[in-house]
Amino acid sequence: MKKTLSIVAAAALLSGLAMAKDVVVGVVLPLTGPIAAFGQTSKGGLDIAYEQNHKLKNGDNVKLVVLDDRGDKVEAATAVKRLLNKNHATVILGEVASGNSMAMAPVAEKAHTPMITHASTNPRVTKGKKYVTRACFIDPFQGAVMAKYALDNGMKKAVVVTDAKQDYSVGLSKAFKKAFTAGGGKILKTVLINSGDKDFNAQVSTIKQMHPDIIAFTGYYPEAALMVKQARAMGVQTPFIGADGVGFPELVKIGGKAAEGFMYTDHFNEAAAKSPEAQAYVKAFHAKYHKPADSMGALAADAYGMILNAMNECIDEGKAPTDKECVNDKLRHTHGYKGITGVINIDKNGNAVKSAVINEVKNGKFVYKTTVNP
Amino acid sequence: MDFTTFLQQLINGASLGSMYALIAIGYTMVYGVLRLINFAHGDIMMVGAFFTYMGTAAGLPFSLAVLLGILGSVIVGVLTDKIAYKPLREAPKISLLITAIGISFFLENLFNVIFGGVPKAFSAPEYLTKVFHLGNVYLPVTVIIIPIVTVLILSGVLWVLYRTKYGMAIRALAFDIPTVKLMGIDADRIISIVFALGSALAAIGGVFYAVSYPSIDPLMGVIVGLKAFAAAVLGGIGSVTGAVVGGFILGFTEIFVVALFPELGGYKDAFAFFFLILVLLFRPTGIMGEDLERSRF
Repeated sequence: MKKTLSIVAAAALLSGLAMAKDVVVGVVLPLTGPIAAFGQTSKGGLDIAYEQNHKLKNGDNVKLVVLDDRGDKVEAATAVKRLLNKNHATVILGEVASGNSMAMAPVAEKAHTPMITHASTNPRVTKGKKYVTRACFIDPFQGAVMAKYALDNGMKKAVVVTDAKQDYSVGLSKAFKKAFTAGGGKILKTVLINSGDKDFNAQVSTIKQMHPDIIAFTGYYPEAALMVKQARAMGVQTPFIGADGVGFPELVKIGGKAAEGFMYTDHFNEAAAKSPEAQAYVKAFHAKYHKPADSMGALAADAYGMILNAMNECIDEGKAPTDKECVNDKLRHTHGYKGITGVINIDKNGNAVKSAVINEVKNGKFVYKTTVNP
Repeated sequence: MDFTTFLQQLINGASLGSMYALIAIGYTMVYGVLRLINFAHGDIMMVGAFFTYMGTAAGLPFSLAVLLGILGSVIVGVLTDKIAYKPLREAPKISLLITAIGISFFLENLFNVIFGGVPKAFSAPEYLTKVFHLGNVYLPVTVIIIPIVTVLILSGVLWVLYRTKYGMAIRALAFDIPTVKLMGIDADRIISIVFALGSALAAIGGVFYAVSYPSIDPLMGVIVGLKAFAAAVLGGIGSVTGAVVGGFILGFTEIFVVALFPELGGYKDAFAFFFLILVLLFRPTGIMGEDLERSRF
């Protein structure tokens, strides 16, 4: 009798499991390659958010399938195709680099699959797209914040360093230049570099003879670290200001003392995070990784939270969480979502409207300076 | 451009050029003997840099860490030859070339799996990172050391090639492998020596590259390997002196493109390769290269 009971119980359990479905969230991140820190930190935050919650209201399980694109545009687009065809993903989360997200967006758009990028800030990522949303602010805002901060600190002459290979950098440079000249500043020169370059001595020597007040570096951290190092070695003491692509521990590890004073705009700094959501996340982050919480991880966790939120709203309306049209609609109309990086409202173009923080490298740490609201 | 800046750019060009030259010598060495463009050369260089990095991370003094790096590269280089290239000795050259590309991908991904893709900070000792001031011109100490090392290595390689029995065997192999075998020389052993030598050169190049640009990652050998290859072709592949000349020309071209047209700096690689095409149009065998069939070092 006892045996029969346990069999019945097991059968009941099995049927219960069979009823709870897996809803796949496909994630594309640069986990290796030159911008691997973007992917690794994003994954760190995503893991925490996933551990905290991966059950939907109707009992369905969220399943993450994470693919590495090595920071490559072609690989990123291929990864989306694979997630759609092989893993039947309902939503795509990623990428970090704008150029890679722009390679992914048309694939998601064509398959009518909602895609949310947690950290791509170039406006063109969502422009004209019906199925692409983002959990971060965009570069015209970020560039204006950089420009305003420089001007407010009495820096009137700038040299802009643009990474010609990155859509992010090209767009951000444009935004910075526009805001900087509108505010009365003067752009002395735009210097082009390429991702993957290691020698910036020629650029630094050219910049040196122009005596700018500030060097606006709009690229990513691997080049930022080497360039600031080579600049200081050549006696260029001009301050650097960058954006959310430079604030990674490698800037300090590789740049060393030269990275001191490097300022940059970012999405999140745990010193400024006061909301209960943010504090809970920061606490979990410290317990798991024993280091300060970074912005990419926080953004990834927010994007994931927004996805769950949208799916739950669909369930409330009696629709399936795998209903792509519904999930997309809810994502695009996210309003007042209390995230880790602040309250997230999605505007009509699919962009999040939220504040930015400014950090500075001091004694090898990223120190919070101020918050700028949109 | 004022005069100090011009001087500074000259120094920058010499610095970059000597780096390319140092790595190009290794390329040309292996090509000279096996007629194999060893596309994995840049990755062997990366292996050398990573082994040195591991050595310093384990607390070894820098000189010992460099030795470890060279040893690591030599072992990986010789193993690649034994495992991947040796079975293909009689196969068409194109099979070898494709295999070399395969080895290159394999090494990149292997190190990616082991170390992860995030760039690592390479810590070099003080005496290699010093910068001298000559008025307003800044002279990193590596700019002096690398050419000296390059010249030393160049003379060392030439000495081995022309003054030792092994060198004679290597040169003989470059002419005709079957005949050399008939003379009772163990061709495979000599080829292993060539790979060991080439890998050691790559490791030294990798260490200096990492000292100058202290951020290392598993893909660091890709671009610099291509550039060194271009330098070797520009100078005349197979010619050791040509590799040095080619390296310097490439270095100066890149620096002066940026110096003269900073707005076009993003296309400096395009300029460098355009220059390569231009030279090859008028001298298909490169600057120092003679008739391809007759050129042996």
